[in-house]
Amino acid sequence: MRALEPIVCTRVVATPAALDAVSWPMGAIVLRVAPDEALVTAEVTTATVPDPHAIVERETGFVAAWVESRRALELLEQFCTWELPHARPAFAQGAVAGLPVKLWFDADRVLILVPAPFATDFAERVP
Amino acid sequence: MIVDGQAVRVRDGDTVLVAMRRAGLHLTNGGCLCLAGDCPHCLAAIDHVAYRRTCQVQARDSMVVESHPARGRLPPLESRGVRPSGTTRHMHCDVVVIGQGKAGQAAAREAGASGLEVLTLDTVDGQDVIGIYPGPLVVARTDRGTLHVRPRVEVVVATGAMEIQPAVPGNDLRGLVTRRATTRLARAGADLGRVVAIGPPPDDVPSARAQGALVKCEPRSDDPSRLGAVVMRREDGTEARVACDTASIALGLTPRDAILRLGRGMPVRGVGEVMGPATIPGPPIAGTVCPCLGVTVDDLSSVYARGFRDLELVKRATLAGTGPCQGAVCVPHLRGFLAHRGTPLQSPFTARPVTRALTLGEAASGAQHQATPRTGLDAEHRRLGARMDRLGGWWRPWTYGDDAAEYAAVREAVSICDVGTLGKLQVSGPDAVRLLEYLYPTRIATLAPGRLRYAVLLNERGYVIDDGLVGRESETRFTLTFTTGGATQAELWVRDWAEALAADVRILNRTWSQGAINVTGPRAKILLGRAGVVNPPDYLHHRVDEVAGVRCHIFRLSFTGEVSFELHHPVTESVALWRRLLDLGGDLGIRPHGLETLMRLRLEKGHVIVGQDTDFDSTPRRLGLDWAVRLDKPDFVGRQAIARTNRLPLDRQLVGLEIPDHTPPEGALVWMRTTYAGYVTSSTWSPALGKAVMLGWVRTSDGALPDEVTIDGRRARRVAAPFYDPEGVRARA
Repeated sequence: MRALEPIVCTRVVATPAALDAVSWPMGAIVLRVAPDEALVTAEVTTATVPDPHAIVERETGFVAAWVESRRALELLEQFCTWELPHARPAFAQGAVAGLPVKLWFDADRVLILVPAPFATDFAERVP
Repeated sequence: MIVDGQAVRVRDGDTVLVAMRRAGLHLTNGGCLCLAGDCPHCLAAIDHVAYRRTCQVQARDSMVVESHPARGRLPPLESRGVRPSGTTRHMHCDVVVIGQGKAGQAAAREAGASGLEVLTLDTVDGQDVIGIYPGPLVVARTDRGTLHVRPRVEVVVATGAMEIQPAVPGNDLRGLVTRRATTRLARAGADLGRVVAIGPPPDDVPSARAQGALVKCEPRSDDPSRLGAVVMRREDGTEARVACDTASIALGLTPRDAILRLGRGMPVRGVGEVMGPATIPGPPIAGTVCPCLGVTVDDLSSVYARGFRDLELVKRATLAGTGPCQGAVCVPHLRGFLAHRGTPLQSPFTARPVTRALTLGEAASGAQHQATPRTGLDAEHRRLGARMDRLGGWWRPWTYGDDAAEYAAVREAVSICDVGTLGKLQVSGPDAVRLLEYLYPTRIATLAPGRLRYAVLLNERGYVIDDGLVGRESETRFTLTFTTGGATQAELWVRDWAEALAADVRILNRTWSQGAINVTGPRAKILLGRAGVVNPPDYLHHRVDEVAGVRCHIFRLSFTGEVSFELHHPVTESVALWRRLLDLGGDLGIRPHGLETLMRLRLEKGHVIVGQDTDFDSTPRRLGLDWAVRLDKPDFVGRQAIARTNRLPLDRQLVGLEIPDHTPPEGALVWMRTTYAGYVTSSTWSPALGKAVMLGWVRTSDGALPDEVTIDGRRARRVAAPFYDPEGVRARA
C-alpha cells in the first residue's frame, strides 16, 4: 500500500443543524463522523459555521493515503470484518486490522485515514 | 510429489490420496477410506503440517507427504517447517450455501432467483467449512487462508450424508473403501484388484457380492497390513470367508450434520440428505469403534458397565469422538451400541467448532493484538536511545539512559518531557459552565478566562476516578486535561453527563491530534524566552502563543515541583518543536527526561497518580484532597456521598512516609507493630532530600494515624507531603 502521509484537515463540532447548513469549500471531502462532528479535508473558518459555540480546529492528528479502489477492496477484505458500503461516494469508519480507521469511497479510489498514534501499527499490519 | 520418500506422479485434478492410490501406495495408517473428508484414515502430514486430509487436498508436484504413525497413535505435533498462517478474508452476502451437491445447488439457485446475493462453499472447491459462530459467522479454511463469511439472511447447510464405516475386527486393514469411494478410485485409475461388495455394489466397478453381515476382515498372508478376505455371517448363522483385495463397504448413510448442529439458535437450516434419517448400525461386537483414539468395543462395554450410559458421558469416559474426525466414524456405532442395550436412541453429541484440526497459524490468522498508540515524538525518543515501555496505554520513554542526569536537569537546569499522552478535551457552549460545575467538585464559574485550576473527577459514590486541569478560554469555552490512563473513560464520562443533563455543549477530544511537551526546571523561563515567549503565563495561567515558531497553547503548572510550562501543539509539529527546544537550551544544560525521572519528581512533590496511588474507593478526604471539594456548591457528581462519608470517622488515609536509608518496593506492606496497617503505593529515593519518600495507605488506630510504622523491616516516619519544596516556592517562581 502507498505510504501514509500526514493530512491536514479541519474538525468542526457544532449542532447537527449548523453542520447541515454549512457551505463547505469546493472540492472538500466532508466526513460526518458524528451527527455533531465533521472532519473536512480543507480549511474551514469559524465564520462559515452558523453556530456561535462551534469548535473549529485545525486537525493534524491523521495520516492518510489514497488507494486505487480495487486494491483497497482487496486489502479491506482481509483486514475489515464489517461490511463496506456499496454506494459511491460513501463514508465509513470502524476497525481495520484492529485499528480505528476512517474510509472515504470515491468512484475509483479510497481515502484511508488513520489516527497518527496508530500510523506505525497500520503500516506494519497492512502491507 | 513425494510420499514417504517415494516419487508419485500427479495428474490434473488429483487429490493427494487419489494420486497415491493410483500409484499403488497406501498410507501407513489403514482403515476404511471414504474420500469424502469424513474419516481419519487418510490423515497425513503434507508439507510438514500434520492432520491433513489427503482426500481433500489437491495434489501438487512439489508436495511432500508423510504418513502418520499407525492407527490409534497421534502424530507428533512438532513441525519441521514453518507454515505461514495465511490471510483471513472477510466476505458478506445474503445467503451462504455450504455444500454444492444437488440439494445445495438447488438452494443456491432458489435464493439467487429471489434476488438474494448467494455465496457457495464446498470442499470440492477448496473451501472447507470448519465452524459456524454466532452472527452467524461461517468460517472456512481455503488454500489461500481463512475465509470469514457473514450472511445477512441465512446459512443453508447442504453437506449431505456420509457412509457408515465398519466396526469389526480388522477394520484397520488397507483395502477397505466405502462404496462411493470405490467408484471414485476406480474412475481415477486406481488398481483395486479383486473387489467384493458388502451391501449394494459400487457403480461402474466389477465386484463380487458378499452375502450376509460383515463380521471380520482378515489380512493377507504375505502382508498383514493389507486386506486379504472378509468374513460374512449369513442369516443361518454360518460364516463364509471371501478372498479379496478391496472391500466396498455400503452399510448405510448418516447425515453429515456437524456443521448444521453448530448453527442451533441461528438462522441456519439444512436441505437434502443432511436432513435425512440416520442409519443406526447393529451393535458392534468386537474391534475398534473410534479409530482416532483407538477406542474398542471392550472399552465401551467397560464404561457402560460402570454406569456411563449417556452418549455425552461415554464420550467423556472413553474420549471416543474427540479425535480428528470428531465422531464422524464412531458416533453411529456409539448410538447403536447404546440403543441396542436398551437406552433410548440418543442424539449425536453437542457439536462445537472447529470441526477440523487447525494449525495454530490458522487459528491465529486475522487476529490482531491491541495496538498501543504512539505520540508524535515516538521515533524521536527511539532515535535518542530511550528505553520505551507501554505506560498508561501508550508507548512512552522510560529513560534516556542516565536517570541521575535527567533528574539533575530538572532540578538544577531545564528539561523537556513528552506529555502528549495526557487527555485533552475542549468543551464549548452556553451550558459549558453548568456542565462542568456539575462534573467537578471545584468552582468553575469563578474561574477567570486565562486561568487554570486543578480538579478531581468523582463518580456518584464520591470516589476519585480521574484528575487534571480545567482551563477557561472564554465565558463559554474550556480546555480540560485528564490523566493518560484515564483519558478515554473521562471523555465518555463528560459526554454521558452532557447528554444526561441535556447540556447545550460541543465536545472535541484532541488527545490524538495535540502533542504536548513539558518544559520544566529553574531555567525553563530562560528557554521559553529564547523560543520567543517574552512574558510566559503566570502560575496556573494559560494562553496561546508562538514557541520557536510553533503555535502552542501554553499551560503554566507544575507536576515536577519546578517552574513548568506544558506546550500543547499540533502533533505534526512535535518533532520540530522538540528539536528546537533542545537546540535553544544546549548551553542551559537541557536534556529530556523520561517517565522514571518524572515519577521520582512528582513523588517528591507528593502528587497522587490516579490508578496507582488511588483505590476504587478513594474519596478526596482519604487522599488528603479535601481542599479540591467545595461542599458549599449546590450540587455536583458525588456531592451527597461526600457529605455523608465526611461524617464518618476516617478509617484510612493516603499519607506521606519516609525512611532515611532504605527504599522499599512499591506494594510493600505497612505494619503497626505486628498489625497490618496498609501498603505503599509509590516509593522512590529522593536525591534532593537524601532519603526514601513514599505515599501509602495507612489505617487509623483509635481514630488517629500512627506517626511511626514499619515497612520492609525498617522504621518509617509519617510526614506531610509534599516532601520537596512544601511551600511551592520553586514552582511559582
